[in-house]
Amino acid sequence: MNTTTTYSEQELVALLQQRNDHSFSYLYDNYSGALFGVVSAIIADQETARDVLQEVFVNIWRKIGSYDPAKGRLFTWMMNVARNAAIDKVRSRGYQDSLKNHAIPDNADTNIAGSATLPQVADTGLKKVLTKLKEEHRVLIDMSYFQGYTHDEISKILEIPLGTVKTRIRSALTHLRTMIK
Amino acid sequence: MNVQDYISSGIVESYVLGLASPEEQSEFERMCRQYPEVLQARIDFELVLEQQAVQNAIAPPPALKQQVMNAVLPSEAKIIPINTDAPAAKANWFKYAAAACAILLAGSLYWNISQYNRTQKLQASYDEVVKDYDSTAFRLSEIEEEIAMLTLNPNIRMAAMKGQKISPASFATVFWDTTSNDVYLQVNNLPKPANDKQYQLWAIFNGQPIDVGMIDNAVFTGEKKLLLQMKNVRGAQTFAITLEKKGGSSTPQGDMYTLGNL
Repeated sequence: MNTTTTYSEQELVALLQQRNDHSFSYLYDNYSGALFGVVSAIIADQETARDVLQEVFVNIWRKIGSYDPAKGRLFTWMMNVARNAAIDKVRSRGYQDSLKNHAIPDNADTNIAGSATLPQVADTGLKKVLTKLKEEHRVLIDMSYFQGYTHDEISKILEIPLGTVKTRIRSALTHLRTMIK
Repeated sequence: MNVQDYISSGIVESYVLGLASPEEQSEFERMCRQYPEVLQARIDFELVLEQQAVQNAIAPPPALKQQVMNAVLPSEAKIIPINTDAPAAKANWFKYAAAACAILLAGSLYWNISQYNRTQKLQASYDEVVKDYDSTAFRLSEIEEEIAMLTLNPNIRMAAMKGQKISPASFATVFWDTTSNDVYLQVNNLPKPANDKQYQLWAIFNGQPIDVGMIDNAVFTGEKKLLLQMKNVRGAQTFAITLEKKGGSSTPQGDMYTLGNL
């Protein structure tokens, strides 16, 4: 579909906010892969990830009016919409129940709280970079970014003071940054 | 903490990845507005992240696009778009309309208040003008009556009383109706009396002074009247004004200010 047309981010946002359906088709063509990667890094099950991606695009279409360019680029916003939808799904009762019905492979090597309930996700993108971080940083990024735990929850689960959680996450993020540059 | 330390503290990554607390978010947004280098650091990381995501894109099943498009823009059922698109579009429209209404309302309110104040002021000055007009018109009709009474009545006789030695500039006029015996006095010029004194008008008939009444001191303090109605008198050849003690005397005691014959 009209792959020859390209829009600047501003034009695209303006058209989306005007409910232009062609611009939405363009958005899907250009970003569904990247966003599916984001969702798949959090949700292993392909069928669920696909449902979530559909939900992500519906959310983008519905919430585009609240997107504020002053606060970040369009992709950053969409990426956070995708991450939030994926985490909401993972933490939902229904998803947790469905996981319990499956045989959970023994993850003997892990002491990460919550990871026992998660199947292995594809090691791509940020997730792949994560493996290069040292353990204490890896755990914190995984729990906060990929599993959506709040700093408070992490502090309680890992029995680390809240202040330490915050400084370690900040430190982990700066390391992450140097790795993906 | 200087700006560079702030940038390298991990806040940029924390914000962009959606891990910052609401307080950190608003602080970061403020820093972005204040320091171009913070904003640039944010954009740089956003681009890195976007590039990273694009490189690690996973193509969703091709059939998903149609599902998504159907969920968002159903083309077959015309009614559904109202149910799906409308809330967002409507909410947006409503937001702008509400904002516009608020602005209009504020503007209108301000206008109304200023108009109200203006109207109040105009009403007050209008009332004052009407009052002035009423009293002037009333005064005018009084004067007209008085003039008519004096000029149209053939029985009126006049005595112009000239100032005497004590006050040569004094001057007053008496109008006497010979049929009704009414006496009117016009005070043309008399010095203002002391508070305990009062002018008294006399008619002199066959050498005898007859009291015709007191001149109210208010005449000298502003409540000007063209003509003062005095006591009736049956016969007179001469009129005179003397300055007496307040309330008057039965016979003239004080200085004579004016005197005139009919």
